[in-house]
Amino acid sequence: MAVALQRKSQPELSGGPIPWDEFAILRRENLTRWPTGAGVDIDEAVAYHKLMPAHKSLASAMRLAAQKRMCLTQPRGGFGTFAMQIELMQALEAEGLADIVPTTTDSYTRNERFGEAAKGMAESETVGRSMLNGFPIVNAGVPGCRKLVEASNRPNIVLSGTAMPRLTAEIALAAGYTGYLGSGIAYTVSYTKELSIAEGIRNYQYLDRLTALYAEKGVELHRRQPGFLTGTNIPPSIAIVTCILDTLLAAAQGVRNYGLELGQCLHLVQDAAAIAACGELCQEYLRKFGHPDVFTPVTSLHWMGAWPHDEAQCSALIAHGGTLAAVGGAVSVTTKSTHEAIGIPTPKANAEALRMTRMAIYMARGIRLDGLPEYEREKALIAREVRPIVDRVLDIGDGDPAVGAIRAFESGVLDIPWSPNRQVKSRVMPARDAEGYIRILDPGDVPIPAEVMEIHHEALRRRAERERMPFDHSLAIASVYEMSETLERLLPFQIEPDRCLGN
Amino acid sequence: MTPEQAARSARMLLTGVIGSDTHIVGNRVLSLALEKAGYRVASLGALTPAREFIEGAIETAADAILVSSLYGQGELDCRGFRDLCVEAGIDEILLYVGGNLVVGKQPWPDVERRFLDMGFDRAFPPGTRPEDVIAALDRDFAARAAGARIALP
Repeated sequence: MAVALQRKSQPELSGGPIPWDEFAILRRENLTRWPTGAGVDIDEAVAYHKLMPAHKSLASAMRLAAQKRMCLTQPRGGFGTFAMQIELMQALEAEGLADIVPTTTDSYTRNERFGEAAKGMAESETVGRSMLNGFPIVNAGVPGCRKLVEASNRPNIVLSGTAMPRLTAEIALAAGYTGYLGSGIAYTVSYTKELSIAEGIRNYQYLDRLTALYAEKGVELHRRQPGFLTGTNIPPSIAIVTCILDTLLAAAQGVRNYGLELGQCLHLVQDAAAIAACGELCQEYLRKFGHPDVFTPVTSLHWMGAWPHDEAQCSALIAHGGTLAAVGGAVSVTTKSTHEAIGIPTPKANAEALRMTRMAIYMARGIRLDGLPEYEREKALIAREVRPIVDRVLDIGDGDPAVGAIRAFESGVLDIPWSPNRQVKSRVMPARDAEGYIRILDPGDVPIPAEVMEIHHEALRRRAERERMPFDHSLAIASVYEMSETLERLLPFQIEPDRCLGN
Repeated sequence: MTPEQAARSARMLLTGVIGSDTHIVGNRVLSLALEKAGYRVASLGALTPAREFIEGAIETAADAILVSSLYGQGELDCRGFRDLCVEAGIDEILLYVGGNLVVGKQPWPDVERRFLDMGFDRAFPPGTRPEDVIAALDRDFAARAAGARIALP
């Protein structure tokens, strides 16, 4: 059963910090929504965090990795029972050498259907295989989740693709998780159909304020923004715009350790340019808003679109993804596995993908593209797209990023490709160009300057001509499937017998 | 309009992604391809509870329901789907299901059997292309016109 929060009064949404007295009331209400909420005692939780060894803190790990120019590895992973989840977490650490150990929640938990999650957990125990696609953190409660936190010797992060994180976050953070992924704009437009963007923003303002409350009590936590959005050919500028707006919202609540995730485009130059531009542009807007002290490491994500079935092809995507992250200077990389096309991987496949990625990172050490003309051009192009959009959003929000974001989605100034949310126009349409860059085929109502759109269109026209395809939305649809096609289609035998006869 | 498309335009299809699943891209590509092929299509989108499929099918007088599930929990969400159809008086409606239907890598024949036992007429494995679905629909509607439940393999 869905558990809705009965808010006594709904103050007008703004990007400003939630007053502490109001926040205390919100917390009390939130914690009564499921019995395990009663197990959250923030002062006891703070004491628990302070007793944990420093290397279990993701906030510290990310700061150290950024300082030393490391690229940490982090998989995803969640199963429906304690035994399976602990076995997974230990395999990821021992066999996969995961620098960061995840707990992915199941989709019932993400949608706050805790009753159904409980049934799924019980049935998983009975049948001996996971019926849930993740671990039900709320049902497990604080003592249960501490068993998971203590199962490995690495920092733990919660991965919960939802616009409704409040109760899950209370329990996970109290249990000793030191990282939490998710944000109000990105997750509402990627993971919900009916929820208003205002409500999603409010829910993450709660989580960010909770993070600030831990900080006030001396515990720094790592929050993270999921700029991968709907995971399908997201042009870097579209991702980075959401990174900037979500970062401003988090910073206003008091968050000071805020990661930015970008899904890989699978183009070495474009991905490196995106990673650099993301960090720099977020800092630019943070300074404008008077937050010069927010740490914003960038995380690069293995390909988030459709994967091939051939495990050999998948291995190439995985290893290449390690190279893209390391060369691009990402502080961490989030991995997928050779099982991606068919769903959730076994612990073994998950750990193997971590090792493939790690080897690629090792080999890429020290390589950077700074100064390469294509890289500098691409980075400048991203900034030429991002600034006009963000400036327009802030303008129509009278300087408030929350108000601006809501109005901008209504008017289409902000737009996300392939969004399941009804409030998003999803008119912006990306496609991959002849050189493998992700370009914008149709900007919808997003204010991308005409001279910049001409660069995108020119690149896509070249592809349409080369492959004898119409210059229209069929380019976008072909790009959705492209990376999942077989090698026989993507790159068939290149030297046909008759082509050699003339030599 | 080709004669093939004209025949298809008499058929209404209902598509959607079941349960708490947000994976909309493949479902939207499928819906576009079905429309382009000539079928009439009503799309429920992501995050659609089973009962909304049934209500939608009645409302649109659909000839078939095409259920997508990508996130692994389809096995829980799809249980009793045919029973809901029977309760609502649309016992005979053509039911397809497709996607990543279970958690983890399991042999496809086992997974297919599980979903056929739930009352789906066809189950499609991961990686199915819209052309394959259109071909199956054409054959099944032709078989139905001839009095069979679905086309033989």
